[in-house]
Amino acid sequence: MLFDWIAKMLGPAPDHPEFWRQYLSSFDGVLGKRTPIEEVCFVVFDTEATGLDVKKDRILSIGAVKVRNWQISLSACLDCYVKQSYQPVGETIAVHGILPGARSPGDMEEIEAVQHFVKYCHASVLVGHHVAFDISMINQALKGLIGQKLVNKRLDTAALAARVAEKKGYEVPGTLGLDALCKKYDIPMSDRHTAAGDAFITAVLFMKLLARLKKRGVNTLGELMRGPSF
Amino acid sequence: MENTIPRRIYDFLKEFPPFNLLGREVLMRISENILVQYRQPDEVIFRQGDAPGTHIYIVREGAVHLLREINGESLMVEQCDEGDVFGIRPLLASDNYALTAKVVEESLVYAINVEGFREVLENNPRVAFYLASTFAAGIGEKYRKEGKPMLFLEQDKMVDANFPLVEIQSLEKSKDPVTCLPDTLIRQAAAVMSNHEVGSIIVVDEERRPVGIVTDKDLRSKVATGAVSLEKPITAIMSSPVITVGPSITVADVQIEMVKNRINHLCITEDGTPGSRVIGVLSEHDLMVVQGNNPALLIREVRRCKNGGELRNIRERAEELLKKYIYQEVAIAFISTVMSEVNDELITQAIRLCQAEMDEEGHQRPSAGFCWLALGSEGRQEQLLRTDQDNALIFEDVPEEDYDPTKGYYLKLAEKVTRVLHEIGYEYCPGEMMASNPSWCLSLEEWKKQFSKWIFEPSPKAVMYCTIFFDYRPIYGLKELSGQLTEHIFEIIGGQAIFLGFLAKDAMQNPPPLTFFRNFVVESSGEHKDEFDIKARAMMPLADSARVLILDAKVGKINNTFRRFEKLAELEPKNKELYELAADAYEILMRYRALQGLKNKDSGRYFNPSELSKMERVNLRNCFQPIKELQSLLSTRYQLAYLR
Repeated sequence: MLFDWIAKMLGPAPDHPEFWRQYLSSFDGVLGKRTPIEEVCFVVFDTEATGLDVKKDRILSIGAVKVRNWQISLSACLDCYVKQSYQPVGETIAVHGILPGARSPGDMEEIEAVQHFVKYCHASVLVGHHVAFDISMINQALKGLIGQKLVNKRLDTAALAARVAEKKGYEVPGTLGLDALCKKYDIPMSDRHTAAGDAFITAVLFMKLLARLKKRGVNTLGELMRGPSF
Repeated sequence: MENTIPRRIYDFLKEFPPFNLLGREVLMRISENILVQYRQPDEVIFRQGDAPGTHIYIVREGAVHLLREINGESLMVEQCDEGDVFGIRPLLASDNYALTAKVVEESLVYAINVEGFREVLENNPRVAFYLASTFAAGIGEKYRKEGKPMLFLEQDKMVDANFPLVEIQSLEKSKDPVTCLPDTLIRQAAAVMSNHEVGSIIVVDEERRPVGIVTDKDLRSKVATGAVSLEKPITAIMSSPVITVGPSITVADVQIEMVKNRINHLCITEDGTPGSRVIGVLSEHDLMVVQGNNPALLIREVRRCKNGGELRNIRERAEELLKKYIYQEVAIAFISTVMSEVNDELITQAIRLCQAEMDEEGHQRPSAGFCWLALGSEGRQEQLLRTDQDNALIFEDVPEEDYDPTKGYYLKLAEKVTRVLHEIGYEYCPGEMMASNPSWCLSLEEWKKQFSKWIFEPSPKAVMYCTIFFDYRPIYGLKELSGQLTEHIFEIIGGQAIFLGFLAKDAMQNPPPLTFFRNFVVESSGEHKDEFDIKARAMMPLADSARVLILDAKVGKINNTFRRFEKLAELEPKNKELYELAADAYEILMRYRALQGLKNKDSGRYFNPSELSKMERVNLRNCFQPIKELQSLLSTRYQLAYLR
């Protein structure tokens, strides 16, 4: 804790690459607890990876959209595919239908994709479905590159859905998957299991959940972040 | 970077008008720049009187109401559901929003920037015209002028529709043309031709490229005369080189080639040159078959028909022609002219045949002549598909002692004619509005009295008759009788404002529905119904309004509803725009009814909104506005409030 505080006082370490310095400085005074949710920029994103093991597996693609003031601008979305050399484990191929190199050849290295993402989201609030995993994947890559982690605020749509349902996540097993929620909230599920497709679906879900929370008096970022997470 | 999300938007948009009229690349570019907006119930997207915004909108899911606010009250004008475009005013006009858009269900809305889209309009007149035509009177005049009313049939239907006129039909027939190699003997070739029952054989090389052609005419003139031996190779009598054409050739092209080369067979090859493989043969006979459905030819053939069955056959061929015209979006003025020419000729021939039959049966033709009148839709020259027959007969005034035999003769004739018309496929009129009914087979004097009675003593029943009888049109016989009747009517109608009031009231009986929403017809009361009666709810109100107005203007001889509106536009410049919209609306409705009728093999009158594509719903819905405005014009002009 103390160390973090000192680090902050000293500013970004000079040996950080440019993109990371810009990333860190983007956090200066943008968001506060009282910021109305309409003014908050949310980056809703999803990653597809070769597997579920954060240590071994690699990112295949990152998709992200920005939600701000109940609106997604398609001219500003992120849709990156990574060149693959790592041989994936069979089970993930079954889920995502992605064969590295087969579905989309990818035109960048994993770390390039992650840098694109970092530049894209800057200080935004990160939103995803079971977002912890996606953030870990990104962090793993960042760790290898510069020994750093994302510091953004984050929201999990599964947790928000449980909050809207006024239940704890463990009380409603099976109902918080993205498929189940899409069904519940009438969201068409085309392009499932592409990072960008899932990011878009999650963004629509996020807006619908946010609208329900707003009805219950959630008007500021502080009120939004206060909810339980898991 | 990939395009996963815009592609999803693209996939949605391409299903809905007007985006389905755009090319892939253009639509993809639009999709890449779209804003996806989440809208909550009761949210107002724009308000009546607001300055024009920067975007137009498409409902992705949910529902948005368009409201007109008058004296603090909100009147619902439109319900938009999935795929509906709204808020296009900033695109076409620079004035403020005329309506308020209010969200009624949780909605996702796609917003497209006006600036970028305006450029798209410049390059895609069909889209511009579509948007302008979906827009109520007064706006987008610039675009509206550019085209005729259209159904904007989807592309796949247009392709289907290319069937009869062009090559396809004849190519089918001549698939697998009969061919032989150059060393085949004449005797063998002749045997092949007779086995296949064909009039020609193409001589081809090993690669199946055409070398020459031999027709039965060659066999007759060169072999049968003994000039050439049957044992010679076929090359001895073949014509060479062969005139070749490509597979996509029009009838006109074929005709030109045949006339130019003085030949009656053309060879179809893969690329149209003699250097590629033979894929078919076209003979002059094939051409005649294809051309069989040309209106002039049909009309000529009618005169050769000897009974109802033959006449029916012609009418069915005319329907094929109709189908082609409808699918190719030929102007309705042309279609209705052609179809009523055919109808008139069929009726005329039916009368001629029946008169001849009467002669044969020994009935003396009366000295008083007659005129056969078509009523209702045929009277208005609007009968595209066969519906009920409505007709009447006028005969010349006769001395009292001759009345009974004269009327007796014409009733008998009318009975025969209506029977033949029935055979052709025009159903008997359930209301007995036929010349075979003694009440509608009258002398000129009686007709004048009848119309006077209707006009001076209007009653709901009289008005009902008037709506049918006033659209009379002479088809056969002494047309001056019909002219005299018309003169009489205009003479007496002068001071009879009350009668016109009755007619106007009748024209307002059936207000159009408000709109279509999802699979329902939405009434102005908010009620939802699942069946739409295009005749009663949209066409008749227009036809009835046109009739009152044209009678009031004392213009005879124009029976066609859209022509009546065109005439009215000329006569009343201040209502020109409304009348033009009404004419367009009527044309769209006629087209749509014919289309439904051809599709469902019925009169096309009733259908369920779920049968309609988005484009079709929008097209139909747009016809409702001029109907409403016309009805309110009638209400003011004839002060209908007093008559109620």
